[in-house]
Amino acid sequence: MYRYTDFDRQFVHARAAQYRDQLERHLAGELPDEAFRPLRLQNGWYVQRHAPMLRVAVPYGALSSAQLRVLARIAREFDLQDAGTPQERGGFGHFTTRQNLQFNWIPLDRSADVMDLLASVDMHGIQTSGNCIRNITSDSLAGVAPDEIVDPRPYCEVLRQWSTLHPEFAFLPRKFKIAVSGAREDRAAIRWHDIGLQLVKNAAGEVGFEVYVGGGMGRTPVIAPLARAFVPWQQILVYIEAAVRVYNRFGRRDNLYKARIKILVKAEGQRYFDEVDAEFDKLLSEDANGAEHLIPQAELDRVAACFAPPAGLEPSPAASQAALRSSLRPGDTDAPVAFSRWLERNVQPHRLPGLRAVTLSLKRPGLPPGDATAAQMDAAAALADRFSQGELRVTHEQNLLLPWVREADLHALWLAAKTEGFATPNIGLVTDMIACPGGDFCALANARSIPVAAEITERFQDLDLQHDIGDLDLHISGCINSCGHHHSGHLGILGVDKDGTEWYQITLGGSDGSTLSGAATPGKVIGPSFAADEVADAVEAVIETYRRERSAGERFVDTVRRLGVAPFRAAADEVRQTTAA
Amino acid sequence: MKFIDPHQDRWHLAAGEDGPLPHPSPADQLLLTLEQWHAVRSHWSEQATAGKRLGLQLSNDADVEALKPDLPRLALIALSFPKWTDGRAYTQARLLRARLGFQGEIRATGEVLVDMLPLLQRTGFDAVQLRADQRLASAERALRFFAAHYQGDTRDARPVFRRPAALAEAA
Repeated sequence: MYRYTDFDRQFVHARAAQYRDQLERHLAGELPDEAFRPLRLQNGWYVQRHAPMLRVAVPYGALSSAQLRVLARIAREFDLQDAGTPQERGGFGHFTTRQNLQFNWIPLDRSADVMDLLASVDMHGIQTSGNCIRNITSDSLAGVAPDEIVDPRPYCEVLRQWSTLHPEFAFLPRKFKIAVSGAREDRAAIRWHDIGLQLVKNAAGEVGFEVYVGGGMGRTPVIAPLARAFVPWQQILVYIEAAVRVYNRFGRRDNLYKARIKILVKAEGQRYFDEVDAEFDKLLSEDANGAEHLIPQAELDRVAACFAPPAGLEPSPAASQAALRSSLRPGDTDAPVAFSRWLERNVQPHRLPGLRAVTLSLKRPGLPPGDATAAQMDAAAALADRFSQGELRVTHEQNLLLPWVREADLHALWLAAKTEGFATPNIGLVTDMIACPGGDFCALANARSIPVAAEITERFQDLDLQHDIGDLDLHISGCINSCGHHHSGHLGILGVDKDGTEWYQITLGGSDGSTLSGAATPGKVIGPSFAADEVADAVEAVIETYRRERSAGERFVDTVRRLGVAPFRAAADEVRQTTAA
Repeated sequence: MKFIDPHQDRWHLAAGEDGPLPHPSPADQLLLTLEQWHAVRSHWSEQATAGKRLGLQLSNDADVEALKPDLPRLALIALSFPKWTDGRAYTQARLLRARLGFQGEIRATGEVLVDMLPLLQRTGFDAVQLRADQRLASAERALRFFAAHYQGDTRDARPVFRRPAALAEAA
């Protein structure tokens, strides 16, 4: 993981002090809400339905056990409100689709103390909200995936630093999200971002980026077009500066819903890219500080050195799956099947022989998808220390991943994870759903997503059934802001508001851009929305249709593509009771 | 950073009852709109403007690069924040300083709030006219939280990774 220098450390402390000053001026009446709001947003404080929500930055998903323990402490000591019963109001965090962590119950007058506490473990909420460059996300298997071309993490870190408090880009027309992939498989959904970066090597073996600009979800889902086929890595900061500068100048500011860069790119087309190219050239040839932002080899080396595999991992020969399955203790009667399933779904191959990446599933009955209580965070930190060299990743699917697990430790880890409720063998299956916090927490939401997620989790409890269904990306958003990424789900659910009550639109055939799912594309709506009490039935009907109609070995998304939405729509319409087809 | 007191400020617009005068005459500390400047820039002789400081008040969608040939004649460029959350003037200032090498005063006008100051300072503004309700003491304090930043800016073009270690460490 990146190791903070004294400069980095002083920086986050200075930021916390600046925020404390702003908060005090606000509480004293000097800084009215309209002046305080953008400032607190750019430190992650987002006033929500019940209380201020804090979004803590977890840069490209990388988290240490020490950091996770502090997050647990924040959940336990600060994430409390006097409203309602203590058990219901606080004490947990929610891992998001952009690899961050959200708290929902911290009172605003304690927020400066929380920022100081975060700074003590090299953490912050800088630019996790606001019309600025947000957390740079990546593949949670960065540095460990067998299909990796180039480790994206050093570049993510350099980009993170460059974008942090960039003075020109603090008040863009709208938020700006960047994702980076370094592998053949895109596990970071890069084409769905304002800027998507794909690390590649050219014919000469030099590292560079394919740059995509102008993707996004929301009301108008757009897959980012290619801006440049190859930007040498040294130039990437300068190129992105050019792209964002043109956006700052020309992005729409008259209409909040038309202000993202995807709208500008769609409207201007090639003219946008030509303008960026011209700006890029001028930056390098004319500007006082253009060429200064070419990344020196020494800086890349300095940052990359932090991302070497942790010391203390001895190489060992890779074990076969059969050998792993047979590494059981006597007396564990249902263990063979359960352990086998967990190996199959939650354990992934690793770049280094003798190691695996293991996902701790945060998708189980009793807690909303992606949530973890303070006790569970501490437990995950302990597992990281014991099994993964103190390191975890937050995944785009709202789980936690342990990236450095020895094969010899897999059974012990499984037993420990089971005890803590992290071992549901459902990664990639229907109950490994993405869900935003929705109307229960979010003032923007049209509908609640958590009860929908809970009911579907309940209906598909049977692991045999889940395994039979196989890979299925179910994504749930409580509103069109799409924080639950419903557009890219094989099965998407979108909360809509009609006449003040909750309704749900179902989409099929979306893709995040991975090989499994096919090229990035938004799903298709399958007819009028469903009532809250029809949604789970509709989902079951759709999945049953798949199981009935699929060819041998065909995955859900493939059957949808082959048959089109008609048969699925018909099946879902059959279950309508109060809504018309 | 200079804080402009509107009561003491001598810069003035060439405006009549119906708005900006279409054909103003040269005067010291005269602030012109872009339209006025286009009307007079070829007509006003060196003699007529000798010793008179001229400035432009630009809207935040003006193309500052088009002003390149005129910059040596200008002492002041006033940029605008119609809403403090509209960040276009930061780009204008940065282009004026870092690309066009403008040496005169760049002033922030409009809705200018205390907490914008670190951004203004780092994008090339050297004068601000704060909104009337803003406190000067808070503005000055706002400039003191950070000794150094990651990116190069108009004060120091070098990002942290190009500064010697002694400078990279915050004071």
